[in-house]
Amino acid sequence: MKTLILGEVIDNKLSSGTLEIINKASGLGLDFKVVTVGSVESPVLGSSTFQQTYIKRSAESLQFNNVADKLSQIIQEENISLVLAPSTYQSRDLVSFLSVDLSSSPVSNVIDFDIQDSAVITTNSINGGESIYKTKITSSHSLLLIRPKSFDPIDIELNSEYETIEVENSSIEIFDVFKEEKSGPQLEDSKIVISAGRGMVEKENLSLVEDLANKLNAAIGGTRAIVDAGWMPYSQQVGQTGKTVKPDVYIACGISGATQHQVGMKDSKFIIAINKDEEAPIFQLADLGIVGDTLSVIPKINENI
Amino acid sequence: MNITVCAKQIPDPANEITYDNGLISRPDEQVLDDTDRYGIEIALQLREKYDGEVTVISMGPAGTQKGLQQALQMGADKTLYVDDDSLKGANSLMTASILSELAKTTDADIVIFGTESTDGYTGTVPQQVARFLNLDCISYIKAIEISDNVTLTRQTIEGSEKVTMPEKCVLSVTAGGVEPRYPNFKDIMAAKQKPIEKVELSSLNMNASQNLEFLDIEKIENSKNGETIIDEGEAYQVVIEKLKELKVI
Ligand SMILES: Cc1cc2nc3c(=O)[nH]c(=O)nc-3n(C[C@H](O)[C@H](O)[C@H](O)COP(=O)(O)OP(=O)(O)OC[C@H]3O[C@@H](n4cnc5c(N)ncnc54)[C@H](O)[C@@H]3O)c2cc1C
Ligand SMILES: Nc1ncnc2c1ncn2[C@@H]1O[C@H](COP(=O)(O)O)[C@@H](O)[C@H]1O
Repeated sequence: MKTLILGEVIDNKLSSGTLEIINKASGLGLDFKVVTVGSVESPVLGSSTFQQTYIKRSAESLQFNNVADKLSQIIQEENISLVLAPSTYQSRDLVSFLSVDLSSSPVSNVIDFDIQDSAVITTNSINGGESIYKTKITSSHSLLLIRPKSFDPIDIELNSEYETIEVENSSIEIFDVFKEEKSGPQLEDSKIVISAGRGMVEKENLSLVEDLANKLNAAIGGTRAIVDAGWMPYSQQVGQTGKTVKPDVYIACGISGATQHQVGMKDSKFIIAINKDEEAPIFQLADLGIVGDTLSVIPKINENI
Repeated sequence: MNITVCAKQIPDPANEITYDNGLISRPDEQVLDDTDRYGIEIALQLREKYDGEVTVISMGPAGTQKGLQQALQMGADKTLYVDDDSLKGANSLMTASILSELAKTTDADIVIFGTESTDGYTGTVPQQVARFLNLDCISYIKAIEISDNVTLTRQTIEGSEKVTMPEKCVLSVTAGGVEPRYPNFKDIMAAKQKPIEKVELSSLNMNASQNLEFLDIEKIENSKNGETIIDEGEAYQVVIEKLKELKVI
């Protein structure tokens, strides 16, 4: 099946979400090429094992419509029938645009897929990961938006050999580009993640979580409730609309465990939850549950570690 | 300026979701999706500046129309909806096709969405509508500043970026992007006088079809039967012991 993997650039190279999809596509023996969309100069995206095209968009103009036009053209000219993309902001815009051009509704939140009798069968997570859903795609094109961490990333050497295409600017100028500072262990690749929820009571109390994270060399995450409340930047949100993490140890501090949060962390190897409400859904997921006050338990852990 | 907001009625999230042959069971009484309150709020703020009309458009079983009423209570001027049995299980592209045709009937300059609905959460409908309508799409808005012109802050994977809102476009707004207002008693009474109009499916062009065949649905059992300890002042020791056992310290 002729396949296009819609790649993404992070830190000047292919994102781990892209590498995960490449691994899966290789495993299924799909005939794929990668088209990566980004705005940085000369990222490292090429490989000797697949064809790579870099669509370089401008960082100063919102031009996803123009990028989608280019992608539609490639898909039609090269008779591509399967498009695989990570379910990130940029790819969601692009795949949605493509779905109109190709008259094929995409499948979102895909966590696995397979080809059976030349039809694409998808498994996707619904209701915040509470149930899984299987779909057969019956249109001539199949478009999949794949949740990060659904597959292991492929381990390959990347180089700088690829073709670059530039697209025209749109009339919408981008200004005030802000990049969140990345310091300390990152959520995606840390072995230990400590997340905070509204049960930390006040923003100031996040210092307790920070102290513990420093001691354990852990990354810090949070629920959407506290991100929306401005306690933490969005880049640290764990869950359906945030990041998916699979660390060795996940410590949930004052988190109720809504399905939308669970979907981002339930595959962690060992889950510790601290919550004062015995009935909190997070305890169903926890390997070790502490029914108690975060503000009393966490400082004691910090003092005695 | 005509401002159109797409908003959805969903089963009350306080109740457990049930499925019938792969489709969410929809009770007669559905509520306004909280996600769409953010879109409505932005629309109301834009109306204050541009002095236009805010129309809420919706697709799905109308039932008691409670969710539509809630949208009007917030301050929208009127509602148009499509409710047709043949749309049961419509995929995101069919939904987007209907919503774009409805948006055309409102002569919309700005069409506003949530980034993903609570029940469907395909997160693709806003962008699909933008493509159908051939409009620019400014997605994932997390803040709005209204002065001489309107500045929108977009959430990006690495941080954020700003753009100036064009005269005609599609917007999608994240939860937390604005603070949705609460209606008071007067608003609730006023909403009862506002028009809720049904649009027949046959009067609209459908530019999409079903391509996703339901095969199976399975509930994931999360119950791990882990160890639970009630803290009486000493639970921290259990945590530390466990972290040692896991070789984290
Ligand atoms: C479409 C959609 C997408 C969403 N995406 C996400 C997402 O990506 N990530 C996400 O996290 N959420 C997401 N949500 C929101 C989610 O539904 C929950 O609202 C959110 O996860 C709740 O956050 P919380 O656990 O911090 O707060 P709450 O649900 O308010 O829970 C706080 C918990 O803290 C406990 N507590 C209070 N005080 C103390 C104390 N002193 N000591 C100990 N425990 C205490 C309480 O018992 C309670 O269980 C999404 C929702 C929707 C509709
Ligand atoms: N049936 C519908 N009626 C009205 N608006 C909808 C409908 N479905 C989706 N939307 C809009 O599209 C946004 C994203 O929904 P979704 O693509 O289902 O995640 C929602 O926040 C609504 O603004």
